[in-house]
Amino acid sequence: MTGIPTIADAARQIAAKQLSPVELTRACLDRAYALNKELHAFILLTEERALADARAAEAAIMAGKATGPLCGIPIGLKDIVDTKGIATTCHSRLLCDNVPDSDATCAAKLAQAGTVLIGKTATHEFADGGPSFDLPWPPARNPWNTAHFTAGSSSGTGAGVAAGLILGGIGTDTGGSIRGPAALCGIAGIKPTYGLVSRAGVAPAAFTLDHIGPMAWTAEDCALMLQTLAGHDPRDPASAAHPVPDYTARLGAGIKGMRIGVIHHFHEIDHKVSNGTQRRIDDAITTFRELGAAIEEVTLSPLAEWHACGTLISITERAAAYDEWARSRLHDFGERVQQRLLMGALVSGVDYVQAVRRRRELRAELKAAMAGLDVVLTATQQSEAPKIDAIPMWDVSQKPSFTMPFNVAGYPAMSVCSGFGENGLPVAIQLVGKPFQEATVLRIADAFEKASASRARRPALCADLVSA
Amino acid sequence: MQTDLDDATLAFLLARSGLSPTPTQKAELKAIYPHIAAMAELVRKPRGRMAEPALTYGFAEEDLA
Repeated sequence: MTGIPTIADAARQIAAKQLSPVELTRACLDRAYALNKELHAFILLTEERALADARAAEAAIMAGKATGPLCGIPIGLKDIVDTKGIATTCHSRLLCDNVPDSDATCAAKLAQAGTVLIGKTATHEFADGGPSFDLPWPPARNPWNTAHFTAGSSSGTGAGVAAGLILGGIGTDTGGSIRGPAALCGIAGIKPTYGLVSRAGVAPAAFTLDHIGPMAWTAEDCALMLQTLAGHDPRDPASAAHPVPDYTARLGAGIKGMRIGVIHHFHEIDHKVSNGTQRRIDDAITTFRELGAAIEEVTLSPLAEWHACGTLISITERAAAYDEWARSRLHDFGERVQQRLLMGALVSGVDYVQAVRRRRELRAELKAAMAGLDVVLTATQQSEAPKIDAIPMWDVSQKPSFTMPFNVAGYPAMSVCSGFGENGLPVAIQLVGKPFQEATVLRIADAFEKASASRARRPALCADLVSA
Repeated sequence: MQTDLDDATLAFLLARSGLSPTPTQKAELKAIYPHIAAMAELVRKPRGRMAEPALTYGFAEEDLA
């Protein structure tokens, strides 16, 4: 085996019996044991389970009973995803000893698809408020430079995929927790349409903003994972009964004639991005033009209004979800989550409903703006990854997020690596589609990745561990 | 809208919520409150009483069974 394969590459080699799932799993575990001391990507490595999964996948392949392209693929699950018989801590001392008696729907679907569970990945406590240094486990670190932040809260999945400890994994996204780590770790991650992927068995952050989705090295890999994850689930009251298309069918078909709207004011005025990020956005727009897409300008309400709407909903729903523990065990949470929960006392019921009324208006605005367009484009993050010890405690006083608007709207949104910034760390663009049009988002992201060179480079830290 | 938070109001809100922050956390909450108030103002629009929230829902087939 040479290099770190993508899911698609590995699937082809496994299907052709040129790559053993056991050998692939062993390579991922070896990298994980070698690098986790630096990266803290995993809270728990499940070696015994992984090798059993890999042997089962190998037996299925040899017997001609492969379960599809994820058969034998090593993955990680964010540690807010319930796993039967395997500790699920939510990165919190409150759940240090929690061992669920059933799998979350997304975990069960991936297991049924024949994936290999390498371990449970680090998160921010209950998917909120990191990085924290006062929890039972340290925060994940960025494999491109371990002094830097991964973003969160799907931080361990982002770090693990970038360093090749896993080929893909589950992230969750309430205001950007898939797309942020995907951006800063230089990988791909898609937050699907609200309701497309079941939330059942995943710890809530904010019920009406929570999304589950795949994170992987490429858009094609995300498509392969989403194919398994999508679909109606009666265990999730928000689950959509919407047909699941073939997400890979149109990959490689080109994007000539497609229409991309750019929300320039989000990243050029409302929250101005770094020079390096702006340059890569401009380069991406040039690439899309060269691929035959038409580029248009889109204007929406100011980013701060989207951010305010999402943040007020998020604070309130989170405070409600964790109200019982906040009252009885507030100081068992880490400092950052304590502060988030305390903020719930400052938002009135009327504030919350006004935010939810604003949400309907903003969603209508986005729908109108996207008429005739295939996707819209903006930044995912303001800049390259900041130092991990330089993250302010209070994000509500910071500049507005580029990702929250699409949690507010519930529209599918994807972060795609657009290259590297002035400090040599990854930067990204964000592509947003219409509801249930993930196939279009993935097609455009895939075309961009294949036209750019960003997928050719892995973090230097894992280079010595990849056989030449 | 009032954008500062006095000690008595904060104490009332925390007691009503059943939360017991430390004195340092109380001071931080007072400092952060203007940002919360500003966000609350941003979502208030002259929309009239008929504007529905996004949470308004309908009954699905499964509810009618």
